[in-house]
Amino acid sequence: MDWDLLRQCLAAHGPSLFSLLRCEQYENLQFRGLLGDVAKGQQYRKEKRVDNVEVQQFIARKADLLFSVSWKPNTAVVSEAREETEDLYAIMPPLEQFMEVPIRDKRELFFRDLERGDVVIGRIGSIREFGFFIVLVCLGSGTIRDVAPLEITALCPLRDVPSHGSHGDPLSYYQIGDLIQAAVKDIDRYHEKITVSLHSAALPSHLSSLKLGVISSEDLPVHYKQSVALASSNSQIYEKTLEQSLGFANPATVEFLLEKLGISESDPPSLMRGLQRTHFSDEDYASTLRKKQSASWALKCVKSGVDHFKMGRHVEAMNEYNKALEIDAKNVEALVARGALYATNGSLSKAIDDFEVALENCPTHRNARKYLCQTLVVRGGQLEEEDKLLNAESYYKKALTVDETFQEAEDALVKLRQHIQKSLEKREKQAERQAEKEDKQKQKKVETSAEKLRKLLKEEKRLRKKRRRSTSSSSASSESSSNLSPSSSSSTSSSSSSSSSSSSSGHKKCKKKRRKHSESSTHSMKHSSKVSSHQKDYSSNDGWYPPPADTSASFLNQKQEMEKLLERQDRLVCEKAAVEEKVRNRFSSSVEILETTRGRSEDSKGSCTNSKTWASGSRSASDARTERHVASRRDSTDSFHTKSGEKHIRVDKELEGRKLHPASDSSHERNIPFSAENCKRDQYTESFASSRKKCQPGRSEFIQNEYPRKDYRDSEGRFGEDLEDQKPHNLKSYGETSVKKNLPQNLLNIFSQIAEFEKEKGNKQKNK
Amino acid sequence: MEGGGSSSSWVPESRTLEEEQENADKAAREMRLHFKITRFIMEAGVKLGMQSVPIATACMVYHKFFRDTSLDAYDPYLVAMSAIYLAGKVEEQHLRTRDIINVSHRYLHPGSETLELDSHFWELRDSIVQCELLMLRLLNFQVSFQHPHKYLLHYLLSLKHWMNRHSWERTPVAAAAWALLRDSYHGTLCLQYKVQHVAIAVLYLALQCYGVEVPAHAAGERPWWQVFSEDLTEQIILDIVSKLIQLYSLDTEIS
Repeated sequence: MDWDLLRQCLAAHGPSLFSLLRCEQYENLQFRGLLGDVAKGQQYRKEKRVDNVEVQQFIARKADLLFSVSWKPNTAVVSEAREETEDLYAIMPPLEQFMEVPIRDKRELFFRDLERGDVVIGRIGSIREFGFFIVLVCLGSGTIRDVAPLEITALCPLRDVPSHGSHGDPLSYYQIGDLIQAAVKDIDRYHEKITVSLHSAALPSHLSSLKLGVISSEDLPVHYKQSVALASSNSQIYEKTLEQSLGFANPATVEFLLEKLGISESDPPSLMRGLQRTHFSDEDYASTLRKKQSASWALKCVKSGVDHFKMGRHVEAMNEYNKALEIDAKNVEALVARGALYATNGSLSKAIDDFEVALENCPTHRNARKYLCQTLVVRGGQLEEEDKLLNAESYYKKALTVDETFQEAEDALVKLRQHIQKSLEKREKQAERQAEKEDKQKQKKVETSAEKLRKLLKEEKRLRKKRRRSTSSSSASSESSSNLSPSSSSSTSSSSSSSSSSSSSGHKKCKKKRRKHSESSTHSMKHSSKVSSHQKDYSSNDGWYPPPADTSASFLNQKQEMEKLLERQDRLVCEKAAVEEKVRNRFSSSVEILETTRGRSEDSKGSCTNSKTWASGSRSASDARTERHVASRRDSTDSFHTKSGEKHIRVDKELEGRKLHPASDSSHERNIPFSAENCKRDQYTESFASSRKKCQPGRSEFIQNEYPRKDYRDSEGRFGEDLEDQKPHNLKSYGETSVKKNLPQNLLNIFSQIAEFEKEKGNKQKNK
Repeated sequence: MEGGGSSSSWVPESRTLEEEQENADKAAREMRLHFKITRFIMEAGVKLGMQSVPIATACMVYHKFFRDTSLDAYDPYLVAMSAIYLAGKVEEQHLRTRDIINVSHRYLHPGSETLELDSHFWELRDSIVQCELLMLRLLNFQVSFQHPHKYLLHYLLSLKHWMNRHSWERTPVAAAAWALLRDSYHGTLCLQYKVQHVAIAVLYLALQCYGVEVPAHAAGERPWWQVFSEDLTEQIILDIVSKLIQLYSLDTEIS
């Protein structure tokens, strides 16, 4: 309650209002308690007009509203810059001019209401040595008053006249009759004397930009001009002046003046009890209702969209979702549904955007979170495939920030980091191999057809000499490979072959690592179990892989260390090469076979015998590997060779069986995550376009797995181009060449069977 | 009883005492109903974010419509909704029918769920649009009104300059006058009196409410209200004030 206001009111209306108030606001405890206090010091105005009981009754009834503090007009000073133009509202001459108030009253009221800081405009009447006098013409700010007829003079002392430059008398700039705009500095209300200043420091802060000093007659305020015009015209009618004014016709004038007068339109005042703002619930406002309605409408659209989606009508579903989002741009359900549809159609980025917006609007939406994670991981997988490993990593990480318990993302991230590591290693190794290769090529040039012939002879001798040679050559090769400076041609070839084989195995490992990290370790573990004497090497071999770094950045920082590690690894590779060779020799073939194999792959036109040896070599090598996987013990390779044809098929079948029943067997483990991933994707969206695509690498992966020899060959020949792309082609070319080269019939059969099996498998997956 | 004014078409020419009584009752009943409906217009207007002038226009359209027609023939709420819609167009504060329907539905069925945008909704919408056309024809397409608002604001501004700025800042005369003017549309004051007169009357009452006197009121040649409107007498002001205060008594009666 504003008691000052109430007192003012009571003073005007007299004791009758007081009694009415007492009666009407009896129930209002605030009033009852305080009316007594008000009554004590209350003074009523002497001259009383006839009481308007009706009005007093009204005041009494509405007193709680009228005198509530909330009705205070907001007194925030709207900067009354004089730029306010006539067309915004009708600027009227002063009211007293119409009322024809006697000059005496006007003068009295003027001195009562004038305040320090007000801007006055006057004409210089006289200039003295202590300053100049102005006769006030009008007021420049604050109130609008009819000042001119009052003929009030104000002094502007010398010290309040700013000096223009260092020389001369500042007053010399002013002449009698100049229009001066000045700020009121001091008012002597009793003697009716006004002192003004031309220093802008005398201005209140909101007018500080106003220019003080001489002004032209055009700068005079509008209300003064109006006032002058009014005084000169005969008809002094407010209404007429008002209606003729340009600003009055402006439709925006109401809005402007409401702001100027501090009346709120958004929360309009009312004296009706039923129209008090407190009676309205926010729920009932149009914007709230519309929002709610739009949400439910959008939801309806989403529902029908989902129905379309279930029926496989994706276009219709998309239309419905878009419609829903048009109605309610922030509709979470629509966003999630559209995101899912995008994901289904393979637009993963769009899907991610939708899910993200949905989560922004509703951070607790479970499906949005789930889908976003899944999509992020799938997208990451895609990027990984495109070899954009860092991007992929960021996607996985994003998935983890969305849902830190999302296992799939975590697994993928771990895998990816290892992959990044591997690819770095691979790059290093490739560089080394390149160097090695160049070395070898130099040596290769020396190799002539005569040498090849020699190799063939050796090949013939192979069966006889094998056992003895295997031990000797392995030791020789380990020596030669360690210093990489071969003395004899045979040792050269053996060393190169062993190093190449080792690099190939390393490479193989890389490839595998990409899919399944555990693979390589199990693989090497197999080796170590086979060759117990070199177990130590292998265990250190396992130690090559430093634990996964936390971030790619830190990982890159570790690159220096990595390089060191890789150097060490190289040494290990050499040692390992020897070991592997040993293993291989023990099982199937001599070093020469491997060597010739490499030779053939390099100069593509190999001789018949060469290819033959390669075939048997590769076969035996693959057999050896297969055998390792199958883990059946075989002591002599000779016996194995004799029944190799049948054996191979059997092994193949066995492999197939394993494929169907994924066991923990190492060679097929890599296929499991894939199929699992495929399954998940399929489950996620019925026809994930990319799932088919995804199958392809899976298949080639299998091929690669089954023909490690070929891998090696290929990588050797192409210096580690992307193997995956080459695989199917490789298989084909291999088949062709094998036919051309007139391989033994049984081998041919085997290979064609393998090829068929591959094809079948590919089809099966495609069909799936 | 402004409803029973001579301008109303339903007032019969010849009357007996009984008939007169009956008519007065009827008029009082109708006035109460119109009060209720205009209350609806204002409340809906506030919820729709309408400004004062469009709300005033809506009330004017409504009052004018029922001055010329019988309450029996048309549903007053539908007329009110159409009046809101029409006023929005006239005063260039375009409102969507959907919002009008939503707010009205909520007003008439408090606490109900929001309407579905089904065929029922579209029927409601059609009826509003149809009714709007009907009203336009009935009002001879004269739906543009002069309102006291503009006058009142200019009066307030003139007065503000003439008054002591501190007493002006202390006293919410402007808000009170604005509130009174808005509330006056509950009745047909604006149809019966000149807009300037209504504006002056609400200003007069607002000044009275706070016991504020216009400076040098007595000393001047002309009282302040006569400055604003030449043909205004104090009696007219008191009439309007009295009718306005009567309107407020309905407020308590209805709620």
